[in-house]
Amino acid sequence: MDELERQLKQDAGEIEATVSPQLRARIEASLYAARDSKPVKAVERPSSSLWWMSSLTGLVAALLVIAFFNLNRDDAGQAPGSDNFAETTPTQVERPFAETFPLETRPAVLTSPLEKELDDLQSDLEKVRENVEEDMRLAF
Amino acid sequence: MNSDEKLVSDALSGSVSAFTEIVERYSERLLRFLLTRCRTRADAEDALQDTFANAYRYLNTFNPKWRFSTWIYRIAIRNAVRSAPQGVMVEVSSDLEDQAADPLRDCIRASDRENLWLTARDLLSADAYSAMWLRYAEDLPVREVAGALDRSTSWTKVTLMRARNVLEQEMSRTIPKEREHYG
Repeated sequence: MDELERQLKQDAGEIEATVSPQLRARIEASLYAARDSKPVKAVERPSSSLWWMSSLTGLVAALLVIAFFNLNRDDAGQAPGSDNFAETTPTQVERPFAETFPLETRPAVLTSPLEKELDDLQSDLEKVRENVEEDMRLAF
Repeated sequence: MNSDEKLVSDALSGSVSAFTEIVERYSERLLRFLLTRCRTRADAEDALQDTFANAYRYLNTFNPKWRFSTWIYRIAIRNAVRSAPQGVMVEVSSDLEDQAADPLRDCIRASDRENLWLTARDLLSADAYSAMWLRYAEDLPVREVAGALDRSTSWTKVTLMRARNVLEQEMSRTIPKEREHYG
């Protein structure tokens, strides 16, 4: 410890900072108020076992979903409603069926009804929104 | 004697006496520091009260990787900054009338020389002063000082070195005068 450090320490000790009984009472009162407003409570962190259990549960659920969809696809083949139906139809159709009905579909033909469905859905949603707004206006 | 960390742990478990012991342990140390950072003694006492209330309220956020003293000084510094707008240190006037109202000067015992902390307060920035106080009055390691001030370790080292240089220059300037005066 050099001269400066020694002097700083000595001078810090010469600063009198006695806590008066009034101040002590104020501090106790504020602590009492803080205790009432929000009790001290340790942060309850989830334990590592809980984390592992939830992770494993999620993983198993995901695997089950994947397995379920894969089994269904194997059983029923490509579902007609799938998104890539238009693109994959020519190659996915089984040979005898393709020979009987030569299918040459174009994406534009198949997407058109979907667009119409989308328009209908939007229209329905708009109607529902108007109804809700009307109900809210009447209610309030 | 229980360590601070043990007391914090007990307080978190619901022990009121544990936190009361923390208050007993830190009251004077924190008040001594706050007197150097606040405009008036009343401000320092308010800041002390708020410091303990905040510490109690947010005790569950205390990270044991730091010392408890670092954490509570950090709260105290924030409260001191609130009491002095823009975090500016109290400017000490040379007028004798104003000096009478200076809480730090009032609390310093009579001595044959100027208290070095008064000199430091006049010459150093607020952060540099706090760094010096935590390092040399509280004996905190540099890493803990940096944590209390929310600064990097390198900033703290440089600031401490510059502050030391300033004070050493001041000491070398004033000591020969005193010797001449008393010699």
